[in-house]
Amino acid sequence: MDDKQRPRFRLTRRDFLGAIPPAAASLASSIILPGDVLRFSHLAPIEPGTNPLSEYPNREWEKVYRDLYTPDSQFHYLCAPNDTHGCLLKANVKNGVVVYADPSFGYGKASDMYGNTASSRWDPRICISGISYVRRFYSDRRVKSPLVRKGYKEWVDAGFPRDPETGLPEPRYFEGRGKEEFEKLDWDDAFDLVAKVLLNIGETYSGDEGRARLEKQGYDPAMVDATEGAGTLTIKARGGMPLHGPIRIAGAYRFTNMMALLDAHVRGVDQEEAKGARHLDSYSWHTDLPPGHPMVTGQQTCDFDLYTAENANLITLWGKNWIATKMPDGHWLTEAKLHGAKVVTIAPEYQSASSKADEVIIIRPGHDAAFSMGLAHVIVKEKLYDEAFVKNFTDLPLLVRMDNLKMLRASDVIPGYQAATLTAAKLTEPGEKPPPPAEQAVQYIPAAIREEWNDLMVWDAASSEPRPVSREQVGTYFEELGVDAVLEGEFDVTLVNGERIKVRPNFDLVKQYLIDSCDPETISKDTGAPVEAIENLAREIAANKTKTLFVEGMGPNHFFNNDLKDRTIFLVAALTNNIGHFGGTVGSYAGNYRLAYFAVAPWIKEDPFEPQLDPAGKVAQHGYTHSESAHYYNYDDRPLRVGNKLFTGSTHMPTPTKTLFWANSNSLLGNIKWAHNVVVNTLPRIELLSVNEYFWSGSCEYADIVFAVDSWIERKSPDLFAAVTNPFLQSWPASPLPRIYDTRDDVEVWAGIAGALAKATGDKRFADYWHFINTGQPEVYINRIFKAGNNTRGYTYKDLDDSCQTGTPFYLASRTSPKVMGWEQTNESKPWYTKSGRLEFYREEDEFIEYGENLPVVREPVDGTHHEPNVILARPHPAIQPKGPGEYGLDVGDQSTEVRQVRNVIKSPDELSDSQHPLIPEGYTHVLITPKYRHACHSTAGSSDLDVAFWGPFGDFYRHDKRKPWVGEGYIDLNPEDAKELGVEDGDYVWCDGDPSDRPFVGHEDRPEDYKVHRWLVRARYHPSIRRGIGRAWFHFYMATYGSVEGHETRPDGLAKNPRTNYQAGYRYGSHQSITRAWLRPTLQTDSLVRKDTSGQVIGKGFEADVHCVVGAPKESFVKIERAEPGGEDAKGLWDPAAKGYRAGYENEAAQQYLAGEFINGSE
Amino acid sequence: MAKVNNWQIGREMDYPYEESRPEKQAGAVFDTNKCIACQTCTMACKTTWTSGKGQEYMFWNNVETKPWGSFPLAYDMRILEKLGPQSWDGSTYNGKTIFEAAPPGEKALGFIPEDLEYAYPNRGEDEINALMTEDRYYLRLPHDAWFFYLPRVCNHCTYPGCLGSCPRTAIYKRPEDGIVLVDQERCRGYRECVKNCPYKKVFYNHVTRISEKCVFCYPAVEKGIMPRCMRTCIGKIRTFGYVNTPENADPENPVDFLVHVRKVACPLMPQLGLEPNVYYIPPIHVGNKRFLRMLFGPGAEDAVKAYINAMEGNDPELLGVLMLNVSTDHIIRKFKVEGGIAYGFDENGAELVRVPLKEPTVVRPFFDEAVKAYRYNVT
Repeated sequence: MDDKQRPRFRLTRRDFLGAIPPAAASLASSIILPGDVLRFSHLAPIEPGTNPLSEYPNREWEKVYRDLYTPDSQFHYLCAPNDTHGCLLKANVKNGVVVYADPSFGYGKASDMYGNTASSRWDPRICISGISYVRRFYSDRRVKSPLVRKGYKEWVDAGFPRDPETGLPEPRYFEGRGKEEFEKLDWDDAFDLVAKVLLNIGETYSGDEGRARLEKQGYDPAMVDATEGAGTLTIKARGGMPLHGPIRIAGAYRFTNMMALLDAHVRGVDQEEAKGARHLDSYSWHTDLPPGHPMVTGQQTCDFDLYTAENANLITLWGKNWIATKMPDGHWLTEAKLHGAKVVTIAPEYQSASSKADEVIIIRPGHDAAFSMGLAHVIVKEKLYDEAFVKNFTDLPLLVRMDNLKMLRASDVIPGYQAATLTAAKLTEPGEKPPPPAEQAVQYIPAAIREEWNDLMVWDAASSEPRPVSREQVGTYFEELGVDAVLEGEFDVTLVNGERIKVRPNFDLVKQYLIDSCDPETISKDTGAPVEAIENLAREIAANKTKTLFVEGMGPNHFFNNDLKDRTIFLVAALTNNIGHFGGTVGSYAGNYRLAYFAVAPWIKEDPFEPQLDPAGKVAQHGYTHSESAHYYNYDDRPLRVGNKLFTGSTHMPTPTKTLFWANSNSLLGNIKWAHNVVVNTLPRIELLSVNEYFWSGSCEYADIVFAVDSWIERKSPDLFAAVTNPFLQSWPASPLPRIYDTRDDVEVWAGIAGALAKATGDKRFADYWHFINTGQPEVYINRIFKAGNNTRGYTYKDLDDSCQTGTPFYLASRTSPKVMGWEQTNESKPWYTKSGRLEFYREEDEFIEYGENLPVVREPVDGTHHEPNVILARPHPAIQPKGPGEYGLDVGDQSTEVRQVRNVIKSPDELSDSQHPLIPEGYTHVLITPKYRHACHSTAGSSDLDVAFWGPFGDFYRHDKRKPWVGEGYIDLNPEDAKELGVEDGDYVWCDGDPSDRPFVGHEDRPEDYKVHRWLVRARYHPSIRRGIGRAWFHFYMATYGSVEGHETRPDGLAKNPRTNYQAGYRYGSHQSITRAWLRPTLQTDSLVRKDTSGQVIGKGFEADVHCVVGAPKESFVKIERAEPGGEDAKGLWDPAAKGYRAGYENEAAQQYLAGEFINGSE
Repeated sequence: MAKVNNWQIGREMDYPYEESRPEKQAGAVFDTNKCIACQTCTMACKTTWTSGKGQEYMFWNNVETKPWGSFPLAYDMRILEKLGPQSWDGSTYNGKTIFEAAPPGEKALGFIPEDLEYAYPNRGEDEINALMTEDRYYLRLPHDAWFFYLPRVCNHCTYPGCLGSCPRTAIYKRPEDGIVLVDQERCRGYRECVKNCPYKKVFYNHVTRISEKCVFCYPAVEKGIMPRCMRTCIGKIRTFGYVNTPENADPENPVDFLVHVRKVACPLMPQLGLEPNVYYIPPIHVGNKRFLRMLFGPGAEDAVKAYINAMEGNDPELLGVLMLNVSTDHIIRKFKVEGGIAYGFDENGAELVRVPLKEPTVVRPFFDEAVKAYRYNVT
């Protein structure tokens, strides 16, 4: 055959275009490939005898690969998914198409205004999701223009027809959500449409009539009260992870603040009375907030820049799969090991980080609090604790009154006692506004709260008397006081009223609980961790004071008992002086949250009634917006009202949700817990779902309006980025790429709606509020933020951006680098943000005493346990005296899911181990967890073919098995022994069901068509690394929707892809959210907890979004698993790799020999 | 067959061509103890070279979890099984290489995987060698149950199986850097290379009907820049450079230092006889030493000891080389470690990069007088 007739070198022009994702092909059509690339006309024969090891005649062809590789141009952009990194990447552009991304290699040059510089050990920064991002950018799932759902447009065009009785929109306009076409809109039309809706909703739900409608619609009266008659309070917006873009994302907050203008227009109220809309929480909504951190420290979260790892001797990972979820910072862990640090993983499986660990402890998920109390037991019993740290920095020496379980105050026993004058705090009067964070030298405490606190007391051994300790007498200042504080014993004191009561140091109470209830044998039974592991680790931690890192992951945080997990881990850390040191401290890692690095108040709380149009002018600030937790909307728009009690504190109270605006929030519906219940039962009462997206997500599937926004690689609008895991301050360098679709920036969406409202109301302040966006000068707002911030003052946006354009960020000007929360407290004896100024382990507030959690105690998970859920593990203890179910008017034996949340039932170790989950008799066997993994994060979920094909065992680009929803799919990991008992083979499809009383959605029994879409059908993998009784499914696969199921069942290729929207599901039916539900924890809804505000040094109490509020329990589920279909590619037999004997549980002889290393023998 | 010297097996062996070593041999060291299996390398390669039609099953670079992971399916188990149990005598291999075990009429012992065996490229991910049973709920070093990550690219072997068996002489080794290429113009897709590469790193493109393989990103390497998979390695496990034979080892060359001086890095299945030029620092946590010897040869145990010695603080030089990994995207030709700093130099001795073995800690003043700002960690 002639050479010329053979298929030639692959790179024909058409093939080259074929290599580019379809969406880019039109752009790429202008590509001119050099002619010589395609013309190989003659091949010289190879001389016989040629040794190709040393010579080769025809090497001109090598040019082809050089041409393919070499870009025409490069530019830097910020890759900013919803993780904790954010990397400046270098785009390589060829013929106008970004062909691949490189790391910038600029991090090693990062510096601050003081001349401190990072090193090149920081380079490279990128990851798998950053590399595959080009596939998303050019994907057919891009949102290409503003869209409106067909039925929704009809509702608007028809003049908002509503039920005259309840005010609810006529259902026929809303039943098409997720099932009907979207129509393209012009931007201005889209803005006008939304403005009309906002006016209509504002009017519908304002005043007495509005109230009456909400009542008729069945909302909890407390929620209706919370609207205060202002319809704007039913309007809600959420910018997810605003630290990733305070302008474009936190712009949602500014948008809600602006709604005060709408309220003024609708109700005719004045500036003083006007109410803004509500903005939803971010960090706590993702259940990233570790809710026990504010209970112990008074501030949001303790964490540290991960690179401090190399300062530690011992690194304990509590469900923190560091190397799989903190990938660009994985090397700091392995390099810490090179410096001699020991690593311990505590998790339900031998996970990826375990392969880097010295010790691997396999425990039951959700039992971290129990495990840490086992450690604390050993440390206390063997007196291995650091007495000085305990006395100087914690509340453990403080006295607790045994009569009412409150802290003993100096005013209780010293007549006329006046609380000490504070020097490290300024007391504020109502209405008094502190200066911007950059100028806050001290803590700002409302005088009234300070009054309540008074001063607490210790028992002084020298004088045998209680002695007051002010909240500033911590650390060296406490030592200077010369009080010999006693840790153990019971003492009598006489109150000012003459009454004699018993008091005990908190330490003594904690010790009694530890000794009586948390011995290693008990804890081993409860957690499943061997006794030896508990004892050894406790001693190792105690031997590494100031040098042990406690790294909490998202895993344990996703359980209902997560605040106890924090309180108990902090206890172990405090006992061993491991808080606030570069090499020894506690950090919780989930999400990227500390928006407070940026002092955004001048931006989000600028007074919309007086917008400042002079770039240099003073900004009037007024917060008309109030936040609430999105968990209530997720809880079917209800507060926690069970039995005779409303457990949701008034500061937490949500309002009825009528509109939702989401930006950067794909998870808000797509990955929500109880998503399938929200879709079926909650959405019908919501009247506008408006989503800003660049990539079609599960949220878009059910949206009414979708605004097409820029993807990260094409953004042009200035913005900021920082992370809690690294020390860098970054800008979003403007992209030189032309937009490939009709998209705009997120912030232009907010501004655009505002412009339409200005038109609709005639109030031009709506438009003026976004003046510097509308005139292309967002940096005016950024420089205002910089100037106000304590980590940013001294920088200008231009300098930062100039640097970032070359791939080099700045250091944030935090107090230390690495940032270690608590460094100032421990090293400079500054008070924590608590009542006592100390790390607090005792919670004296009424709520905590009532729920039996005044002491850090052990509670079972609320659903994810084989034992009776949510019970408190305790032998009788004088300070643990909770209210039982009977006192809430509940049946003591009622373990239904709603009731379970508020059940305060105590069980002894034996009673607990004899108890069982109520569903076990129904054939439910597994605790199922849904952690995160290396192949994606929230906003890059299972969204590119490359990632999904490489994700675990079932990726297949050619889909030999046409049942597959895509080129890869989600799966459940099961211990092979468990799977065999269930009759499940490796690779089979299984039905996986959660508690049938409310999952996948309430009322599924009567709705078979919906049930089919929402019930989870999933692949099973034999996973030898996981503990028995535990199942695991990765978090990030896209759920099945009505459209994806329709696609799967009707498309010739069988893809689970919505024919109307291109939405691609990672499952054929249902999702890993089919087995979860929303949970609301009572201790997270108090009005009494003292905590720092999100931003600045200001202390308050009760609800604070992302600090003290509900967080859900997203990893809680207890499931039944039933075989559905065989896993063979032919849908009949065994899955191929298992059939061939190359899978765990199916080992052929070669595999057995290989595992044993037997293919090499001979002398040693 | 010619007789060639293969230092990795400590003896001469048969090979279809006479021994001829390039002026420089491009190679690399991968530290499995630092590999996090993020697959950034895999996707960096994929998006650069193999995102076209017919290339769906091509992963010139992949990371697999040992022992269960393998791409394509069981490539290593199967060639080892075909070869049968073999033995080493110290550092000399007593067994047969794939060339010596070639069936009659063949150049080497090999097999062609079925199409379906290229599906499921990350099968085995994070799966341990044994079942997680109660007695394994507390593991200490070395681990009784384990897995580790094995990143793989073409080994650009000194004695490539692909090159040795190509009936078209369409595969060659570049004399200037030892990179092995499949001539995309000459190849006719006979797939002898696919069959006889025991690492299965040559792939058949069923659309163009010719074979393709890793090119070590020579367009970058020619400019002194590391390949895509190497420079995107955020686990910082990869030392890319040029490797010499033991007698020519240059202790200032990072690759030579790791392979020949500290002997901390070993070839992958050297017993197969290809003298692969990508080396691995074996995992320190794996309990089954025999498995490591099977996979990395007789030097595996000493390599683990040398690594642990560095972890114990006794070898700042080794620490320094490993900290330099991918701290620049330029190819480091020489290095030194002095006063807690590791330096990397180019071929002319110019400094490319320097890194501290420990990153400094910075404490900023609480109050910045110049701009009147207080600095906090808790903002």
